Amino acid sequence: MKHFVHFRFTLLAALVCLLLPLLVGSGSLATEVLIFALAALGCNLLLGYTGLMSFGQGIFFGIGSYTTGLALLRLQAPLLPSLLLAMLIGAVVALLVGWFAIRQRGTYFVMLTLAFAQMFYFVAYTMKDLTGGDNGLLDVPRPNLSLFGHTLLATTSPWQYYSFVAIVFVLVFWLLQRVVDSVLGRTLLAVRDNETRAAAIGYDITLLKLTAFVISGAVTGLAGGLHAMMTGVAPLSNIEYHTSEAILIMTVIGGTGNLFASVLGASFYVLIGNWLSTLWPRWLMLLGFLLIGVSLYLHKGLFGVAQAVLRKFGLRPPADTASVKEQHS
Amino acid sequence: MNIYLLQVANGIGIGMLYFLLAVGLSIVFGLLRFVNFAHGAFFLLGAYFCFQCGEMGLNFWWSLLLAPLLVGLFAWLVERFVLRHVYALPHHFHILFTVGLALVLQEAVISFWGPLGNNISPPDLLQGVVMAGGFVYPIYRLFVIAVTAVMALLLWWVLEGTRLGAIVRAGSESTEMVSLLGLNINRIFSLVFALGAATAGLAGALAAPIRGVDPFMGVEALGIAFVVVVIGGLGSFSGALIGGILVGIVQSVMSTVWSEGAHLMIYIAMAAVMLLRPNGLLGRAS
Repeated sequence: MKHFVHFRFTLLAALVCLLLPLLVGSGSLATEVLIFALAALGCNLLLGYTGLMSFGQGIFFGIGSYTTGLALLRLQAPLLPSLLLAMLIGAVVALLVGWFAIRQRGTYFVMLTLAFAQMFYFVAYTMKDLTGGDNGLLDVPRPNLSLFGHTLLATTSPWQYYSFVAIVFVLVFWLLQRVVDSVLGRTLLAVRDNETRAAAIGYDITLLKLTAFVISGAVTGLAGGLHAMMTGVAPLSNIEYHTSEAILIMTVIGGTGNLFASVLGASFYVLIGNWLSTLWPRWLMLLGFLLIGVSLYLHKGLFGVAQAVLRKFGLRPPADTASVKEQHS
Repeated sequence: MNIYLLQVANGIGIGMLYFLLAVGLSIVFGLLRFVNFAHGAFFLLGAYFCFQCGEMGLNFWWSLLLAPLLVGLFAWLVERFVLRHVYALPHHFHILFTVGLALVLQEAVISFWGPLGNNISPPDLLQGVVMAGGFVYPIYRLFVIAVTAVMALLLWWVLEGTRLGAIVRAGSESTEMVSLLGLNINRIFSLVFALGAATAGLAGALAAPIRGVDPFMGVEALGIAFVVVVIGGLGSFSGALIGGILVGIVQSVMSTVWSEGAHLMIYIAMAAVMLLRPNGLLGRAS
């Protein structure tokens, strides 16, 4: 059963992919859930496993959108290469931003990620030839997944595209679970819990943080690319501060320290948001109150609530994979 | 050449406003040890209070007085009754709390005043321009420079010359020590948080006639305040002053050279300072 321990959250994530079509009427809404779950996973790797609170995840999301959009529009690249390019560029930009921001610790780091988010917004706004400025990149196509001219998976209808995104999502989730269960993941936890001690033991803190940043940038870039294909546009709003904020909020509301928590957070944010925004356009205000509530009372987010509920029914809830922090705070 | 000199003068005007915006953030950080992500929202609130006073027919001078007072009062209430309970928690939750607060305030502003921007005209007395030699300078901007300069002196005097300032400075070194000496540090926390918010509110009210009001000016202001304190050094009064003026000048001068990239250049200036002086121009090593 040793393998099951490692696989159970991946199986849970796959289960979510199977359940979403039953619960959600619209294919693009279900796709959006998975895309933002990917972005939240990237954010969770930083916040929950490395202790880095990044207000700059929108940078990688937006850059991913633009990269995929440009690859599809200008280079007529096929599906997978344009997504891989989004991951690559996302990783490179994350390396650059990380290299600047990681020089600072704590508060300065958080402020710098926000400042960089604003900077990249203005970069995208200024480079109108490449990004389309205010209008964004329009008419981004969505090619089928094909190999040597054979269509393996059509992506034309929303639900077809959903199945492609679901496969990508489960794959990435599994890979990230492998990362956080690996020696690297455990070392990142050491950095999160006590940076000074980890450095004293001899770990290269900067390198470890940068690695986490680069992985996170690649995953978020992928999410951005998938989003551009889903909507058919790579808009300026994908690189705005509000996207960064939304990704961070999903991650926090879901709960940090377990990858599956981000899936919960993103589902909650996207589905509840979609429902509430039809009732009351200012639903973000409730989200603000929720965030205040989470920071006051629900430190482990929805995942913590789910754990408590399971415990109440006498079930043994899955333990946090990263709960070392408890004694600290 | 003249145009550049004019832009430098303009930049000092904007820069003083940025100073006023950032100094509250810096002082609050110095004492409370967390960055207030709702600082931009306090700026936003100040601007909209100023707008509301104008709508209600109050004259501009009243709104300059009322906007910062109301923002300060609101911040005091938030600190006194809610924010206080977050202090014992890990650092991340302070930030999340203020992010949530900022979101609530922004959405509240949209539901009260609508999502679109509005313009505010400065009072008649301050309209028009001054001509001196080849210079043409709007009177309102001169007024802003004067008000912010007075505020800077006042804040400096409060911090350096009064008992309260001495306590705040001592608290920045060690809050525990200050409370062990028998001072009620919680009251000082509330007061400083309210003061920081009030300065942001005043900056918002002063900025409103220059740039108009819109619900998303808070986020923009927050980004700029961060740049200013990163350049100047967090927790440093003179750092905020130098950082603010520097950012203002860079922005104004660049707007003639390359108007599209004026905002971008501020952030590039920040990155350059980060490379050369990681703790900011006047920052202490953390």
